[in-house]
Amino acid sequence: MMKNVLEVNNLTKKFGNFTAVNNISFTVKEGELLGFLGPNGAGKTTTIQMLLSVLAPTSGEILYFCKNLKQHREEILEQVNFSTTYINLPWNLTIKENLTFMSYLYTIKNRKKKVDEIIEVFKLSKLANHQMHQLSAGQITRVNLAKAFLNNPKVLLLDEPTASLDPDIAAYIRSLIMEKNKQEGLSVILTSHNMAEVEEVCDRVMFINKGKIIADDAPENLSKSIEICHIELLVRKESEKLVVFCKKMKLKYSQKAKNITVIDVKEKEIPEFLRGVMDAGIQYDEISIEKPTLEDYFLQVSNEALDADDKPSDSHASGSFPHEKTERLVKD
Amino acid sequence: MKLHRIYAIVLRNLFFFRRSYDRITDAFYWPAIDVIVWGMTSSYFTQFAPLNSPVVLILLSGILFWIVVYRGQYEINIGLLDEVWNKNLINLFVAPLKFSEWILALMAIGIIKTAMSFVFAITLAMMLYKINFLGFGWYFLPFSLLLLMTGWWVSFFVTGLILRFGTRVQAFAWTTLAILSPFSAIYYPVSALPQWAQVIAAIIPTSYVFEGMRQAINTGIVSPHNLIMSFILNLVFLIIATIFLKKSFNKVLEKGLVKVY
Repeated sequence: MMKNVLEVNNLTKKFGNFTAVNNISFTVKEGELLGFLGPNGAGKTTTIQMLLSVLAPTSGEILYFCKNLKQHREEILEQVNFSTTYINLPWNLTIKENLTFMSYLYTIKNRKKKVDEIIEVFKLSKLANHQMHQLSAGQITRVNLAKAFLNNPKVLLLDEPTASLDPDIAAYIRSLIMEKNKQEGLSVILTSHNMAEVEEVCDRVMFINKGKIIADDAPENLSKSIEICHIELLVRKESEKLVVFCKKMKLKYSQKAKNITVIDVKEKEIPEFLRGVMDAGIQYDEISIEKPTLEDYFLQVSNEALDADDKPSDSHASGSFPHEKTERLVKD
Repeated sequence: MKLHRIYAIVLRNLFFFRRSYDRITDAFYWPAIDVIVWGMTSSYFTQFAPLNSPVVLILLSGILFWIVVYRGQYEINIGLLDEVWNKNLINLFVAPLKFSEWILALMAIGIIKTAMSFVFAITLAMMLYKINFLGFGWYFLPFSLLLLMTGWWVSFFVTGLILRFGTRVQAFAWTTLAILSPFSAIYYPVSALPQWAQVIAAIIPTSYVFEGMRQAINTGIVSPHNLIMSFILNLVFLIIATIFLKKSFNKVLEKGLVKVY
């Protein structure tokens, strides 16, 4: 059985009267790749800051390797690292200088060799003597990631790790993370707005909204919880009939291209929908049915959160969104 | 306390220093301008002073020793601001670096750069005005240490304020020490100050050092009272400032270090 590398118990953070993180608990196992998702302002960054000890929790405890972060900060942070596109390394130091001085912040054997190795792994050799301000956004992201691997971390927290990277480099970084995970049992907590990336990389996804964990499951299970499928119909003749039909049936639809309409239909209602289309005399030339993805789940949660924000405050208190629908997904 | 982590911050600052025209200017250009302008001014005043009056030595010693206070303070504050401007503070503190190690590293950087500026300015003054600063003998050591202590506690107060209120109060980094300068009696004796200012000067540690400096120039002997008073006052302020700094850091952790970067 895999050990827990991180255990969070009843973690709460309040800023005055505002509760940013509300009594959350979760664990991360050795070698686990956890996607930590949620709409803007949900509490992701606040949680990550607390996990890195740069923000003091109001209450609750954080244990890494069964040791309390507050009491064993230095020992724990030797084995943890972090990377984000929103924090920079000093802009007028070269890549090599930055990685060299950062390497001295950790207990690393043969620092020079390690820095050279990391530069090689992250394909930064040709840029090693360039100052940070001479680099592109994608190259800076790569340097930030390289920094995060300097101390051979056992737990890595990544905030938007592949933002602003070219697709080939992003794919390389993802493969690198998965390789380190397989070879060294690296545990990763990853936040990203790229749902395809999260689905590809993560074993498990945790959704947070309004400071509470509202779902915690495998990405495929979360996608399955969405009932809506996207049906794409190519109708060359009398396509206006389809629009009239969708309006009559009160179905959500959008025009993807000329003659191509995408209609949201509940999975179990697809046969009935197709029968209705036939009965309405609509001749479609092509059809494709797209199953829901993690992105659909994310959009549903985000949209419902926005809707809930628009409603009067008593509807917030009712807890109808999002907890009611999704609480069944939260594992004990 | 790990020395390699302190070294990391020292190294980061030295890497930065060698290609930062701002920092090179701070370290050499301004001290050189001070020595030249004040040296010329005091040389001119010597014409009106009694024969063998050490006007040039007194004024230039004041300038040179003030460099110690200023750089001791400035390097710590600019060290913090550099990390804030570079958005690098989080990178440092998600590593095992302790706050105390970071402050010690900035103090070490302060000592290194103060020594560089001080030695450069003394050499320049000796070359230009044929003044022998070696006459201070061993007094150099306590004078420098006491002035550095003042720089440290002032910088701790300013760092605490920047941590609490962010870059909107960053101007304190280069203005705060100026408030102390009139009461420090750098170029004139404390007795030349108005009565109310003498009361303030009595609690400013630097005033005792500069009084001692003039004693050393005029008589070759420094009253232990000046050194002891300066040390006690510095120690008291240093303790208060350290407590304030630590509380400020804890306060910023309540809001999140990301608020100041």
